[in-house]
Amino acid sequence: METQSVIVCRCEEVDLKQLLETAERYSCSSRELKLRSRAGMGYCGGRTCRLLVDSIVQQLTDTQASNEIPLKHQPPVRPVTFQNLGGGLS
Amino acid sequence: MTDVLIVGAGPAGLSAAISCAERGLQVQVIDEFMRPGGRLLGQLYQEPDGSWWNGIEEAAKLQDKAASLGVELQLGISVIDLNHSDDGWMVYTSTGILKAPALLLATGAAETACPIPGWTLPGVMSIGAAQVMTNVHRVRVGMRGVIVGINVLSMAIAQELELAGIRIAAMVLPAKNMINHDAGDPRKVMQSIVRLGHLAPSPLLRLGSGLMRYTPLQSLGLHLYPKGGFKVWGIPVQLRKAAVEIEGIEKVESVRVANLSPDGNIVPGTSRSLPVDFVCMAGGLYPLAELAAVAGCPFRYIPELGGHIPLHNARMQTPLAGLFVAGNITGIESAKIAAAQGTVAGLSIAAFHQVSGTEEDLRESIQNLRITRAKASIQFHPQVAEGRQRLESIYSENFS
Repeated sequence: METQSVIVCRCEEVDLKQLLETAERYSCSSRELKLRSRAGMGYCGGRTCRLLVDSIVQQLTDTQASNEIPLKHQPPVRPVTFQNLGGGLS
Repeated sequence: MTDVLIVGAGPAGLSAAISCAERGLQVQVIDEFMRPGGRLLGQLYQEPDGSWWNGIEEAAKLQDKAASLGVELQLGISVIDLNHSDDGWMVYTSTGILKAPALLLATGAAETACPIPGWTLPGVMSIGAAQVMTNVHRVRVGMRGVIVGINVLSMAIAQELELAGIRIAAMVLPAKNMINHDAGDPRKVMQSIVRLGHLAPSPLLRLGSGLMRYTPLQSLGLHLYPKGGFKVWGIPVQLRKAAVEIEGIEKVESVRVANLSPDGNIVPGTSRSLPVDFVCMAGGLYPLAELAAVAGCPFRYIPELGGHIPLHNARMQTPLAGLFVAGNITGIESAKIAAAQGTVAGLSIAAFHQVSGTEEDLRESIQNLRITRAKASIQFHPQVAEGRQRLESIYSENFS
């Protein structure tokens, strides 16, 4: 199997090839790469692939990890039921 | 009225709850899991002195003590958001809103993914999942498996799986690719596991406690490293082999393993399939700090501590009023250190609430934490103390 077919974002089923092609074509920041590919936007909230997506961009752009957490965390940080969203929480 | 809300009922959260409750504070602890203890629940290993560390017993001790002091514990609750107002911290959970003037985040760590082709097949799990299934749920993860990723955590859990009668055919590295470079580099892995020399019956790894710390010898060690690996607890630890792909149609059937050069490159023509029914992926741990990020706490990137760390001082205080951190959210270390940090955080929270006479105990607990760290038999990173020093300097330059 071709290494680039490895899935990076399990929730949204985005593979390494898609990420590399997108990052190269658009000279993406991590955030742009996430928004274009949906990697990190799935059910787990990016807990699995956030660091991987950022690491791909760091390597392509030859930059170091910054002090900010890559790909900003946004609430809700866990999946929420519609019931809770709509009225369970007031 | 709750004086302090603690998120996370692991060694850090429970120890903090105990030290707060002992000083008369009203404490509420919540945890996502249905049992308290956090990662303690998975732990079972022999100390260098021969005694056994049984995490389930340690968790029960902490839980009993907290309960006897009137700590309120709620399980199976997730925090989804939080913010700070004039009334203190508002914490939005899956079952409602909780409020407290002081908030301790003791949310621990998450596992770092190290993807290789096939890692999404049923039967592939993280090494931590295998530990929880084995030691907490008592479910057999499979008959014969391979562990992909050789590090402090996976070596410890490999032994636990063996103790439970689950056969590990081999521990190998993940094949190097763009996203798992360090975990696939035999030199870097060698550097990290030589510190486990005292656990290893193999002469090469045992040398680790002395000579092998020097880089040229590590390189020599890799050249001399036998193709079949060294056996640790009967498990072949193969630094010169990598998992290239996990194979199977509907579930794991085998792992394709190839020989590595000392630089971590695949030696062409050496791959073969190892039949297995489960695979554990072990990429290491990183601090699970999403709630600190949502709260607006500043971060620093400290690789020695496992990645992005919410900025805090020796009192486990963040720059945000009433927000404290303890345990692996502050850096990847052992459960004993997490517990000692929890005690510091608890005393620090008592001081925040102006409970009289806590300052001296707080100083003593900080001292005790340093001693615990210096004596730690399992170290996740050789420069943990330096990383912590750096973080504390940054804090004192910016926030005191």
